[in-house]
This record gives sequence, structure tokens and C-alpha cells, in this order.
Amino acid sequence: MTRWQRSLAQRLLQAGLVALLVGVFSFLIMRALPGDAAYRIAAARYGYDLVDGAAAAAVRAELGLDGHWLPALGRWLADLAQGRLGVSVVSGEPVWHELLHELLPSLGLAAATLALVALLGLPLGLACGLRPGGRLDRLSLALAVALRALPPFALGLVLILLFAVQLPVLPAAGHGDAASLLLPALTLALPLAATAARVVREAVAAVAASAYWAFGRGKGLPGAVLLWRHGLRNAALPVVAWLGVQAVLLVEGVVIVETLFARPGLGHAMVHAVFGRDVPMIQGTALLLGALFVGFNALVDAACLALDPRRRDEAAE
Amino acid sequence: MNPADSSQTPGPPHGLSPAPPLAPARACAASGRGLARPLALALLGALALLAVLGPWLSGHDPRVQQLDAVRALPSAAHWLGTDHLGRDQFTRLALALRLSLGLALATVAMAALAGSALGLAAAWRGGWPDRLATTLADAVQALPGLLLVLLVAAISPGDFGPLYAGLALALWVEFFRVVRLMGRGVLQGAPVEAARLLGFGPLAIVRRHLWPELAPVLLTLAAFGAAAAVLALATLGFVGVGLQPPTAELGLMLIELLPYWREAPWLLLPPVSALVLLTAGFMLLARRGHAP
Amino acid sequence: MTALPGWPALARMAGAQAAPAGRPLRIVGPWEITGLEPAIAGHFFTRLQVCETLVEADDQGRLQPGLASAWTLADDGLHWRFRLREGARFHDGTPVTAAQVAQVLQRAHQQPGLLRLAPLAAIEPAAGATGNALLLRLREPFALLPALLAHSSTLVLGAASRGADGRLGTIIGSGPYRIHALTPPQQVQVQAMQPGLPVQQAHYLNVSRAETRALMAEAGQADMALALDPASLQRLGRLSRLRVAQVTVPRTLIMKLNAGHRWLRDPRARRALSLALDRGGIARGLLRDGELAATQLLPPTLAAWHQPGLAPLRFDPAAAARLWAELGWQRGRDGLLQRDGDTLRLTLRSFPDRPELPLVATAVQEQLRQTGIDCRVLIGNSGEVPLRHRDGSLELALAARHYALVPDPLGTLLQDFGAGAGEAAGGQGGDWGAMGWHSPALQQALTGLARGQGDAPALRAQAMAVLHDELPVIPIAWYRQSAALAPALAELALDPLERSWRLSRMPWPGGRA
Repeated sequence: MTRWQRSLAQRLLQAGLVALLVGVFSFLIMRALPGDAAYRIAAARYGYDLVDGAAAAAVRAELGLDGHWLPALGRWLADLAQGRLGVSVVSGEPVWHELLHELLPSLGLAAATLALVALLGLPLGLACGLRPGGRLDRLSLALAVALRALPPFALGLVLILLFAVQLPVLPAAGHGDAASLLLPALTLALPLAATAARVVREAVAAVAASAYWAFGRGKGLPGAVLLWRHGLRNAALPVVAWLGVQAVLLVEGVVIVETLFARPGLGHAMVHAVFGRDVPMIQGTALLLGALFVGFNALVDAACLALDPRRRDEAAE
Repeated sequence: MNPADSSQTPGPPHGLSPAPPLAPARACAASGRGLARPLALALLGALALLAVLGPWLSGHDPRVQQLDAVRALPSAAHWLGTDHLGRDQFTRLALALRLSLGLALATVAMAALAGSALGLAAAWRGGWPDRLATTLADAVQALPGLLLVLLVAAISPGDFGPLYAGLALALWVEFFRVVRLMGRGVLQGAPVEAARLLGFGPLAIVRRHLWPELAPVLLTLAAFGAAAAVLALATLGFVGVGLQPPTAELGLMLIELLPYWREAPWLLLPPVSALVLLTAGFMLLARRGHAP
Repeated sequence: MTALPGWPALARMAGAQAAPAGRPLRIVGPWEITGLEPAIAGHFFTRLQVCETLVEADDQGRLQPGLASAWTLADDGLHWRFRLREGARFHDGTPVTAAQVAQVLQRAHQQPGLLRLAPLAAIEPAAGATGNALLLRLREPFALLPALLAHSSTLVLGAASRGADGRLGTIIGSGPYRIHALTPPQQVQVQAMQPGLPVQQAHYLNVSRAETRALMAEAGQADMALALDPASLQRLGRLSRLRVAQVTVPRTLIMKLNAGHRWLRDPRARRALSLALDRGGIARGLLRDGELAATQLLPPTLAAWHQPGLAPLRFDPAAAARLWAELGWQRGRDGLLQRDGDTLRLTLRSFPDRPELPLVATAVQEQLRQTGIDCRVLIGNSGEVPLRHRDGSLELALAARHYALVPDPLGTLLQDFGAGAGEAAGGQGGDWGAMGWHSPALQQALTGLARGQGDAPALRAQAMAVLHDELPVIPIAWYRQSAALAPALAELALDPLERSWRLSRMPWPGGRA
């Protein structure tokens, strides 16, 4: 087995574990308060003005919310293993259909966030790394600590108040155009970019202090060329590896930011499904978010292997 | 597992979005690292004092409302003013801090105990207990922590128990991994070998050889974990899946006072600052010099 | 959604392929589109004027022709005949037939909803009638039937809306607007059927947080932001670039209680609870409008039902204390009321769907504590209230009850207090109304009104007096619907019954007059 295969196998196992965990918890939610589930679903469907015993009875009859739990768990996991997620109990739509509908906006948000992280974090990190200990370097460290201590939802609020209300240049909420994507993406990207800048700075500083850098300097290569030729590749590895650690933040951030900015997406759908006790939807959204997380990590693994010749050339042990 | 893992320094507890270890600039390290821990201790100490003594100092009953004196400015009677129901904001802030600190310490203690015990067992025994515990850890780590807490909390929304259980469930993995890795290194080392030959029991070995090695690392993990727990609780409260009003909780206070941000910004500021100071305090506490 | 079959033909009839003129009107509100079924999302399609109900209502709740141009009742009181509007067509060009309407209503009658209140025996196209008419046969007289047919769950859909399996795939209505795009749970876009309407296109967006809706109005991203919180309203009211419109709606914030509970069975106990509530403080401090403090169950805007002669509900903790003492309760050392070793502990349930409910619950909790009642607040799901009503475990609940789900409050009152209310739970009141309480005088009044027999004003006065004296539910505050409007909509009057957003009546510079 090569390293490639091993890392892929590990990630596949992880994906399987995600499915098992999500399935079991979803089932527990379903079973926690069976009587209550019918009323909750009826409340989500018909709203608080029309939810009553008759509506709940109709829901219970339709969904068959009774029966013994052990065979039910078996059926539940068997369905899951075959990729059958059922229909949303609130909207009556197939869960897969709804998930596809919610997936694109979430992916768009994640992609916009990563682009912003690159745009903001890399130049700052480079500038700090070439002048370690300088004023900019200290400032960026303080900024990184501050941004990481501020919870994402609070940062989002600050940004809304600043950009959408005080200087009305960006939309406060909604979706459908690029402008409304900017604030949520910025909310997610700022803390990430601040720490990305620190990681880049460390890597660049290490490269700048290395022997081949001094050698290049001695050859009289201009700074930019030198950086391109020697610096970036060596600096990229820790940055990409760091991204893998941040995948968690990205997925969690998507949940919070979508809820705050009222954007459609997997995170928003999941929080809503929790409210409405729409268990098939909870299961579907959690599953897909978990799969995205594992997939992102697998991509990072691959990038690390591709970047690092020492790891790439290693054969099976 | 992850090629990005550095086995030397414990990464952040995976899951609940704590800060990754910020590599301090070497220039800052000299000034920063010496100050970080005392500063963190002072900050957390002050917050803890406020949480414990605040309600007694203010002399107000946090439940008493004055509906005709809502959103009052800070005054001699109400040091931080009154909230949207005319309750004393200072007392409620102290209670919210008490809740956040208490929950953070309780979850971290629980996670650290469970994680360390399992890690120790895995390192000591190896074989199937090791494989079982590692698989369990992998499963928990396969999901982002907040999702895990959301899933557990969804079993019974608005209750304290599932929130606590979910947070502890998300946090134990890191303790387990570190104790298992380091424990294995120590247990296979020469000093432990010698101690065993001299007939020392397992307890003595843990106390003499393992504990000194593990303690600083565990403290760092615990501090990260506490910061993560505080943030997760507030986040879930803010999204509406956490605790429910009228509990005084930082995230809930924020969402309750948000509608008044423009007419009464002084009400929104204390819970935000408390939240930031609390998490920053724990993070500063966690910052250690990196093994070069 | 793709263009509907038959739509191009219709556009040719209208004289032009309707190109969207000007900017669409943007509406934001708190409601999610959780499905397409009329029982679930019907109110969207009626408010956006995509679909019509047979009967409409004016601002005073008087019934008006809708898709039915007229209706008559036979002398036996059992046969209602509804004549459909001449030339009415669905958006796909097919005519609105009595057979199709009958099918839609039969389905609505089987769904959970208000139409179940009607003792219907048959719904069928009227045989041998000239024109297009529908016959509804009853088992017993029921004067409220036309009002029920104004509810959005009875809206009329075209046959092509449902697939062969009966699932609703698209919404084909007969109103002045057609669905242009529908992306549940958050967006609906509609397009005018006639080029003459000023609003040619409208977009509805679901935004769950009230403060975000207010921010969108403030930032000029929404032309009509609905259901705003009191704090935002006050702030937006001071801005010159917006107009805040308000209208009192027939909704009341009530405390539902278990009158069968051993401590609350005596009307004096319920009166003591009511006297402990500082309605003025709640209205001024939380709802920011002192006039919303409820003096009785229904607000003055429902003139036919509001009884000026009833003594207003008041706040008097001392009187409450005297009543508790009469009932044998004494304050213990902890300040809580005690009797025979029991402490007066009650659980109050509410739900967060309406942002003011948890707030008011917190205020009520404290006001009850001041009179010696230990009240635990649980904020959960709105479904908990009917659930616990049915299993008998409910003690207190806080809800915002809409008393004009159909234009006549009688519909809701029958559901909550009528003779058939809560038959499943032993006839002790409806899921959102009385619990463990029964009043022959009230039953008699409501039954008389439902059958259309007797002196209606006197019966209404009798019903309201009983509710006021016995307090099976305790009124706390009335409601105003509020919206922040773009300057172009300055003249718009909100619909007090919340039946329509009145797109077809809006002046809109983006459109063509």
C-alpha cells in the first residue's frame, strides 16, 4: 500500500464512522419523545396558529411513529447504508432533493471564504515573515488573538452593523447576488485569515532564515524571484497542513453564519430541522456536512503528499 | 492520522473551534510568553471573583423586574444599568459568567478525566481496548464538534444535561490522544522499566513518571477546551438551540439585547466583553512555548 | 419553475409577452415555506394573490365575493349554493369549473384545518344550474360556512397543480399574480398576469430574525419588512426614509390555564392570577405601546364582539393576595403561598415562534412570584401546548391566539370553547382554548350564533361576559401588525386580517400605471 492509498482508506473509514454516528444520534432524537415528535412536526408544518391534536394525529398516522426501537434502529441504519434518507417530515420533499438544493449555497460560501483567506492572509503573512519582529508583525499577532477570541456570531453582528447599516454599502442579509455573499464570507474569513497570516509568516521566516535563501541572495536574485522560486513551495506545505486543521472551523462557521445571515444552506437547514424535529433532515444535513468535512481533509492530505517530495516518494512500510 | 499532525505539540482540541496554537513570533516570545500566563491568571481570577461575589456585591435580586424602568443607564443603583425587563444587568452578567465558567470547568474536568483514563488504559494495555478506544475517538473526531453537540442537544432541546454531555463528548478525544501517545512513550522508557523491576506499583509509576510529563500538556488542553466550551455554549444560545430564557447566559443575553443595540449599546457591551475576555483568558493560559 | 403550459397563449391574449417592468417589489417576513399544501402554506399564496378562496373579507371582517360571486342558503338551512365568478380562469388557461372546486374542497375537508368545523354532508357541482355553481349540503344548520370558505386552507387550485399521485408539484391559481419561481423554504417570486398592474413582480424572502428584517428595511434592501420587533419599530419610526405602518389585528396574547387543576378549579383562583398581572407594564415596557394592555379578550377593533360595558381587567396584587387567603393559602417563610403542606408551584409553557412570548413569559413569571406563586417557565415547541392539553399535564401556557383565522371570530371561539371543542379530550374545551372548564351559558350562545338563530348581538354579549367572569383563558395583551415600508408605499394600509399583502393595489413607480 502506498501512502496515497493508506490515507484514502483512512478517510473512507472516517466517512463510514460519520454515517454511523449521525445515524445513531438521529435515531435517538427520533425516539426521545415519540408523542412529542408528532406535535412538533405538526407545529413545524402548520404553524402555531393551526397546530392541534387533529393535525398531530394526522402526522402520527402518516409517519408511523410507534413500534419497538431495536428493529427500528436496524431498519434505520440499513436504510442509511443504502443511501435512503427518506422524505422531510415537514415539507414532504425527498431529503436528497432538499440537500442538493442546500448544498450549492454552502459550497459557494466555503469557496468565497477560502478565496478571501488567501487574498487577505497570504500578503499579510508574507509581509510579516520578511520582517519578523517588525511593527506589522506585532500588530498582526494582536489582531489574530483578538479575532480568535471573538465568537463568529459576534463578529458577524459587528460587521453587519458596520457595513450594512452605518455605511450602507453591503446587503445585511438575503442571498442571490455576489454582494450579499461578501459579509458572511468575511465573517468566516477574518479569523481564519488572521491565523493563516501567522502560519504563513512562520513558514516564510523559516525559509528566509535558511541556507538556500542566503545562497540565492548571494547569486543576486531579486527578492520577488527568490521568493517565488524557493520560498513559496517550502512555505506552502505548513499552510496547507494548517488548512486541514481549520476544516472544522469552516464547517462550524457555515452553520452559524448561515443562520445569522438567513442564507439558505446546509447549516441553516440543520438548525431549522432541529427546531422542527425533522429527523430525516437533521440526519441528511449532518451527514452531508460531515462528508464535506472528511472530503476537505482528504483533499488536504492529497495536497500535502503532492507538495512534500519526502512523503510522496515513501513506499509502503 | 493526519499528516499535518505534529506529534510534538498538542494541537488544539479538535472539534469545537478553539484557536490553533499561534506560533508566537520569536521577537515577541521574550516579552509575550513571560507575560501571557500571569495576565491570563489575573484575567480569569477577576472574572471568577465577579462571578462568585457579583450578585452579593450588587445586592440586587436578579429576578426582580421594573417594567417601567427598562433599559436604564448605568447608575449608582444599577452599575451596568437595567436590561429590557428592568432587571439589574450587573447581577445577571455575574450569574451568566458563573454559568459559563461552571459549565466550562465541569465539561473540561469530565472530558479530561474520561479521556485521560481511557488514554492511560490504552497505553498500558494495548491490544483490543486500545483499538476500541481509538475507533471511538476516530468516530467522534470524524464530525465537527459543534455538529456533535447540536446532535446531542437536539435529543432534548433547551435542557442543560444534553448540552453538557455533548460538550464533554466532543472534548475528551484530545485528552485521550495525548495521554495515549505520551503515556506510551514514557511507559516504554528506561526509567519506568527500572521502576517496575524495583517493584513499584502502577500508582507510583503514574505519580512519579507519567504525571510530571503529562501535567503541563493536560493543562494546555484543558484551557483550550474551556475556551471552546464557553464559545460553544454562547453560540448555541445565540442560535436558539442552547439554553432558554430566562436563564442568564452570555449568548442568550446577546440575542435578547441585540434588538436594542442602537438605543442601549451599553447593555450589549458587557456580555460581549465578558465573552471575549473569558475566551481570551483561557487561550492565553493555553499558550505555551513550542518545543523547537 | 418553467413557463406553464398554456401561458404563452395567455400572454398573447393579454397583448404582449409580459416583460418585467421596473424593479420587483421585495417583501421580507418571518414565515417559512415548509411545504406547498394549502393547509401548510396557503396563506402565502393568498397573501401574494396567486390563489383565491371562494369568499373574501373586507377590513371589518364583512364577507365579500371572492372566486364565488354570490352565495345563497336554502330555506331548510342545510343547502348552500355558491355561484362561481363568470369567466374565471386558472393561470394555465383552463376555466375554473365547479367540479374542480368541489374536488379541492373535499380534499380540504379531509385535511386538518378549519373546514372540519363545518358539519358537511356533501360537496358537489350544482346539478342543472345555469352557469357554474357549487352545492354544499350540511347535516345541521351552520351559519359560519361562508366565513370558513375564506380561510386560506380552502384556496382553489387548478387540476394541473397535482400530479397523478396527488402530490402538489406546482401552484396554479386563479389570482392576479402567478408563481414565477418557488424555492422553498425561503423564496417565492410572483409575476403579474396583467401588464396594467403597477407591481409587475414581487419577491418574498423568509428572514427569520426580526432584527435582520429591520436592518434590511433600514439598508433599503426590503420595500416591505413585516412583523418587526418593538425595539426596531421605534428605531425605524424615527427614520425619514421609511414609513412604519401599524394596524391592530384580532390576535390576543393569552394565558391558557388548566381550570380542572385542583388549585385553579375555583374561579377566584383564576381571578387572583389575573389580578397579579401588570398588563400596563408589559404593554409599555415590552410591547412599547400602553394601549395594547388587554381590558378583555377581544380588542375594540372587533366592534361586533368587543363589549365596552365590561369592567376592564386590572392589576391589583393586594386584591389577589386577599383572594388567595380566602381560598386558604398562606404565605410561607420563603414568601410562597402554602396550603395543607402544598406550595403553589405551577409550570408555564410557551414557545419562541413569536419573539415577544418568551419575554412576556419572563415578566409573568416574576409578577406571579411577587404574589407568592412559584412559576417555572419552559420555552419549548408550540406543539407542546395542544399535546399537554390532551394528556392533561398542562398547568399554564402563554400563547398568541388568532381570533379571526376566518373573518368571523366565531370560528375560533367555536374551536376553543364550542360544544364540540376538544371532543377527543372529553369535550372540555379546544386545544388552544378552555381546559377542564365548561359553561352551558357560553355553549348555548355559541351554538345559537353558529346556527344563525336568535339575537346575535345579545348572544355575543352573553358569550363575552361568561369568558370575562370565569376566565378560562386570561387575556394579557392585544396585538398590532407592523411593517416598515418604502416611501413609494406610503399610502398602503395594512390588512388587519392579514389576508393579503395587497400587491394589486400598490402604487409602485417601477411598474407601469
